[in-house]
Amino acid sequence: MFALMSNFVFVPALTYGSQLALGALGITLVFGVLRFANFAHGDLMAFGTMGVVLITYWLQAHGIGIDPLPTALLALPFGIALAVGASLLIDRTVYRFYRKRRAAPVILVVASVGVMYVLNGLTRFVIGAEDQRFFDGARFLISAGDFKDLTGLDEGVTIKLTQALTVVVAVLMVAALFWFLQKTRTGKAMRAYSDNEDLALLSGISPDRVVAVTWIIAAVLATVAGTLYGLDKSFKPFVYFQLILPMFAAAIVGGIGQPIGAIIGAYVVAFSEVMLTYAYKRALMYIGPEGWGPEGLMQILSTEYKFAISFLILVFVLLVRPTGIFRGKVI
Amino acid sequence: MSAILTRTRLAYLGIIVLLLLVGVFQSWSVALVMINLCLISAVMALGVNIQWGYAGLFSAGTVGFVALGGLAGVLISEAPVIEAWDVGGAGLIYSVATLAALIAAIFIIMSVMKPGTARRIVMTCVILGGYFAVRYFFDPATDAIEGVNPSAQGFLGGLGLPILLSWPVGGLLAALVAWGIGKVALGLRSDYLAIATLGIAEIVIAVIKNEDWLARGVKNVSGLARPMPKEIALQESPEFIGWIEWLHSGALSTVTGDERIQMLRDFAQQDAGTFVKLIYMLLFTVVLLILFALAQRALNSPWGRMMRAIRDNEVAAEAMGKNVTKRHLQTFILGSAVVGIAGAMLTTLDGQFTPGTYNPLRFTFLVWVMVIVGGSGNNHGSVIGGFLIWFAWVQAEPAGILLMDGLTFFMAPDNPVRLHLLDAAAQMRPLLMGLVLLLAMRFSPKGILPEPIRTAR
Amino acid sequence: MKKLLLATSVLALSATGLAGSAQAEVKLGVILGFTGPIESITPTMAAAAEMAMSEVSDSGKLLGGETVTSVRADSTCIDSAAATAAAERLVTSDNVAAIVGADCSGVTGAIANNVAVPKGVVMISPSATSPALTTIEDNGYFFRTAPSDARQGQVLADMMKDQGITEIAVTYTNNDYGKGLADSFQAAFEAAGGKVSISVPHEDGKGDYSAEVATLAATGSKELAVFGYVDQGGRGIIQSALDTGAFDKFVLCDGMIGDSLLEAFGDSLNGTIGTLPGNDGEGATKFLELAKAKGIDGSGAFAPESYDAAALLMLAMEAAGSTDRAAIQAKVLDVANGPGEPILPGELGKALEIIAKGGDVDYVGATGVELIGPGEAAGSYKELLVDGGKFTTVQIR
Repeated sequence: MFALMSNFVFVPALTYGSQLALGALGITLVFGVLRFANFAHGDLMAFGTMGVVLITYWLQAHGIGIDPLPTALLALPFGIALAVGASLLIDRTVYRFYRKRRAAPVILVVASVGVMYVLNGLTRFVIGAEDQRFFDGARFLISAGDFKDLTGLDEGVTIKLTQALTVVVAVLMVAALFWFLQKTRTGKAMRAYSDNEDLALLSGISPDRVVAVTWIIAAVLATVAGTLYGLDKSFKPFVYFQLILPMFAAAIVGGIGQPIGAIIGAYVVAFSEVMLTYAYKRALMYIGPEGWGPEGLMQILSTEYKFAISFLILVFVLLVRPTGIFRGKVI
Repeated sequence: MSAILTRTRLAYLGIIVLLLLVGVFQSWSVALVMINLCLISAVMALGVNIQWGYAGLFSAGTVGFVALGGLAGVLISEAPVIEAWDVGGAGLIYSVATLAALIAAIFIIMSVMKPGTARRIVMTCVILGGYFAVRYFFDPATDAIEGVNPSAQGFLGGLGLPILLSWPVGGLLAALVAWGIGKVALGLRSDYLAIATLGIAEIVIAVIKNEDWLARGVKNVSGLARPMPKEIALQESPEFIGWIEWLHSGALSTVTGDERIQMLRDFAQQDAGTFVKLIYMLLFTVVLLILFALAQRALNSPWGRMMRAIRDNEVAAEAMGKNVTKRHLQTFILGSAVVGIAGAMLTTLDGQFTPGTYNPLRFTFLVWVMVIVGGSGNNHGSVIGGFLIWFAWVQAEPAGILLMDGLTFFMAPDNPVRLHLLDAAAQMRPLLMGLVLLLAMRFSPKGILPEPIRTAR
Repeated sequence: MKKLLLATSVLALSATGLAGSAQAEVKLGVILGFTGPIESITPTMAAAAEMAMSEVSDSGKLLGGETVTSVRADSTCIDSAAATAAAERLVTSDNVAAIVGADCSGVTGAIANNVAVPKGVVMISPSATSPALTTIEDNGYFFRTAPSDARQGQVLADMMKDQGITEIAVTYTNNDYGKGLADSFQAAFEAAGGKVSISVPHEDGKGDYSAEVATLAATGSKELAVFGYVDQGGRGIIQSALDTGAFDKFVLCDGMIGDSLLEAFGDSLNGTIGTLPGNDGEGATKFLELAKAKGIDGSGAFAPESYDAAALLMLAMEAAGSTDRAAIQAKVLDVANGPGEPILPGELGKALEIIAKGGDVDYVGATGVELIGPGEAAGSYKELLVDGGKFTTVQIR
C-alpha cells in the first residue's frame, strides 16, 4: 500500500513539483521585483535548455562525459550563460523602456507576450521543433525489481536517477536562493525593492542592478528547471510553452511574489494533479479485507481534467483567499 | 480630427491595396479566402477592443469564447439524435435536477448557518455528497449517449435549425459564460485577471474536448450545414450552369463540342468556389458593419464616456459614484459576446467543429496583437489590425520561404545550412508576430490608428 | 450594377485560374503541420514525400522528362482557417497538380471540403486516419494511404485475442485519431469477449504523465495499449510506465511505431507488440534503406505513407499523360491497385517506364498500398514484435 502510493503518487509528484517549483520561483521573482506576470518564462526555459542541449551534443560527440551522471550537467553553465544573456538583452531592449515610463503592468504583460513569440520562434529556428533527447548516464537509482528483492514487498518502487537529481538540484537551488535573498546585500536590496520600490530607491538601492540580478536569477532558475525537465522527459519547445500554465497556477496559489509560496504552490499543484485523478482501487484493496475490492476504479476526477485541476485550484484560491497561501502582493 | 480621418482612410486603402496585390501575385481566390478570414478576425478584434480598449480589461480567455461560439454552431445546426435522447436524455435530466438541488442546498446553508468551522464542514460534506450524486446519474447517461453509433454520432445532436441562427446564439452562449467568469474573476488586479481567464478558458476547452455527449469532443463534428448550397451541388445545378453559360458566353462561343463542355466544366468549378466565397463575404461584412455601428455608437454615448473615465482612472470614477465592478462586468460580457459571434462565424466557414483547434497562441494572443497594433480604443483600428495581422499571419510562411531562399541563394541546393533554414521557414511566423508586436508597442504604442482625443465641446 | 461587378470579378478569377493550367514544371503541394502540436513529426514526413519527388525527377521519365518540385505549406494541424488559406494558395496561386496531405484529420476535412473537392484537386493524406473521413462528400478527390482507424481497431483486437490477452488498459492521444481508434478497438475487443479495464486519454505536448500512468496501473491490468504518437504523449506515457514499473508489455498502434522509441527504451520494450499498415516487409525495408541513404529517419511516424502518397500522385500523372487535375484523379486507383507489375520504393523510374509503354503497375510502396472503397488504404497490417530491441514482423493480418 505504502509502496504503491509512493511509486505512483509520491515520487512522480515530487519530481514534477520540483520542476514546477523552479519555474514558478522565476515567475514569482520577476513578479515581485518587476511587478508583471511574465508570459515568456516558459519560452525562456526552452531557450536556455536549447543551449544546454546543443552543448551536450557537442560534448557527447567529443566523448566528454561524467558517467553515471548525465553530460547535460556539464553543459548547464553554457545554457545558463545563454539564457542570462538573452534575458538581460531583452530587458535592455524591451522591458526597460516601459519601466522607465512607469507603464501599467498590463503593458509589460503584453510586451512579455511579444517576447514569448520571439523566443518561441528563435528556439525552433535554431534547434527545430523536433523532439530532442539528450539524456545519457544511468537510468535507475532503484528499479522496481531491485526494490521488490530488497524489501520482499509485492509492489515495487522505482527511483530514477533523473528524479533524484531533480529533487537534489531543486533543493540546492532553493537553498542557495534563500541564502542569497536573506543574507547577501544584493538579496536584501531585492527584497526591499520588491517590498517598497520608492523607499528602496530613497535608501540608495540601484534599481538597474536589482532588476539585472532578478533577470539573472530568473534565467538561471529557468534554465535549470528546463534542463531537469528535459532530462527527466524530453526537450520539445512546444511543451515548454504549455508548462507556464501550471507554473502560473503554482505561483498564484502560493501567493505571488513570495518565493516560499511558489515552492509550496508548485507541490500543491503537482500533488493534486496526481492525487485527484488517481484511481484508488488497488490502494483500497490493500486496506480492505482479503479478497474485497471496490466495483469501480474509485477515481475522484477523470484524468481528462488533469490540466484543468491546477486552474480549478487557482480559481478556488482566488475566490477564498485571493492573496494565496502565503500572503502575496496586494491585488 | 481630420488628420485621424485621413489616416483611417489611408489605412483602409492600404488594406485594399494589399489584398489586390495578393489577387494579382497569388490569385484572386486566395484574396477572397483572406478577406473572409480577415473579416472574422476583425470581428474578434472588435470584441477584444471592447474589453481592452474601452475598459482596460486584460482578458486572456478569448479562445474560450471563440470555442463557445463554435459550439453553438453544432448545437443549432446539427440534426437531433433521437436515439441518444432516448437512452440518455432522462439520466441527463436527473443529473441536472440533482445539480440544481445541490446548488439550492448550498445557498440554503449559506443563509441559515453562521460562518465558521461547522458551516465549512457541513458545506464540504454536502458538496462532496452532491458531486457523487450527480455523477451517479450523469456517468451512465453519458456512457449510453456516447455508445450510440460512436463513429458518426455518439452525441445528443443539435436542434436542426439553420446555421445562421448560431451566430447570435453563439454570442448569447459566450455572454452567459462570460457572466459567470466575470463574477469570479473581475475585481482582481489586472494581470491576475489575465491569468485567471487564461486558466478558465483552458477549463472551457477541456470540457468541450472531453464531454463527447455534447458535441463529440475531439472526434470533431464535420460536414456542418451551410447557409448556401455546396460547391459540388452548384456545379451540378442546371440553374447555376445556365448562369455560367450566360456569364462566359463570349469565351464559350469560340469553341464547340467536347472542348466547350470541358471549358464549361472548368468555369463551373472556378465560379462555384468564388460564388460561395462571395456569399460568405457578404454575410460577414453585414455582421461586421452591424457590430461596428453598435460599437461606435456605444463608444460615443455617455456610456462610452463613463467607460473611458473608469479605464483612465478607476479610483476617481468610483469616487464619482460609478460602479466600477458592474461596468467591468458589462463590458466583459459584451466583448465576449462579440467574440462568440466571431467563433460561430468561423465554425460556419470551416464547415466543421474541431475542439483541438482552440489554442491560446492563435486565438487569444494573436487577437491581442491585432488590437494593440491596430490601435486600442479605436474600433477602426481593431478592424485594420484584424485585417493586417491576419494577413501577416498567413503570408509570413510563404514570405519566410522566399526570404530564406533569397538569403541562401549563393549556397549549393543541398547545403545543410540552407536546408535547415528552409525547413525552419515556417517558424518565421511566431518570430514575425512577436517582432511586430514589440516594435508596434515600442514605436507606435497607440497603434496604427490611435484613439481619437475627445475634447469637451 | 451589382451583378455586373459580381460577373466581372468572377470572370477575372476564372481567367487567372485557367491561365495557370499551363505550367512550366510539375508542382506537388505538401501541406503538413510544420508548426503546432505535431511539428515534431512533420519534417520527416515532408522529407519522405520529397524523396519520392526527387527520385522521379532524377529518373527523367515523368511525362518525358519533367521535374517535380514540392511546394510546402503549413497546415498548422489545428488551425482550419490558416490551413484553408494555405491550401487555397497552393491550388490557385502555386497551381499545384495535386496535394500530399493534410495530416491531422480536422484540418484535412476542412481542406477537402473547402478547397480540394470544390476545386477538383486530388489530395492524398498520409496520416488522417479518422473514420469520419470515410464518409465525407469527396467526389472521388480525397484519398489516403493511411487506413481508417476502424480497421486497425479490429486488427489490434484480433491480435490480442490470439495472444491470449483478455483484459487490457488503454490510453489514447486526445484527438480524433486516438479517440476514434480507442473506440473502435474497444468495440472490437469486447465483441471478441475481451475487457477494456480503463480507457484514459492523454494530451500531447503536456508536461507530465504520471497521473495517467498511475490511474492506468491502478486497474491491475498486465498490458497497456498505447494509441498515440511516437514523438508525443505516447512516448511520455511509455517512459513513465517503464520508469514506475507499472507495465512492461505494451500494445502499440501505427503512430507509435518508430525507431526513436527503440532508441529511447531499447531492450526494455522486448515482448511489446504492435501493428503497422503494410503487407510485406520488402517494401518497408527498401524504403528504410532509401531513406537512410538520404539521411531521413524512415521509421518516423507516417513517413512511409507520405512517400507513398507522393509516389501515387506522380504515377497517376504519368498514367493520365498530363498534369490535368481531373485526369490525375481518374488514374489514382488504377496505379494503386492491381493488376500490374508490383512497384516497390526506389522503383518509381521503372514504373514510369512501364506506364509510358502502356503497361499496368500495381503500386505497393513502403506500406503495401491497396486502395479500397472510398479511396482509402485497405488495411493489411503487419504484426510487429519487439525482440532484442528491434521491431520484427510476426505475420501479416
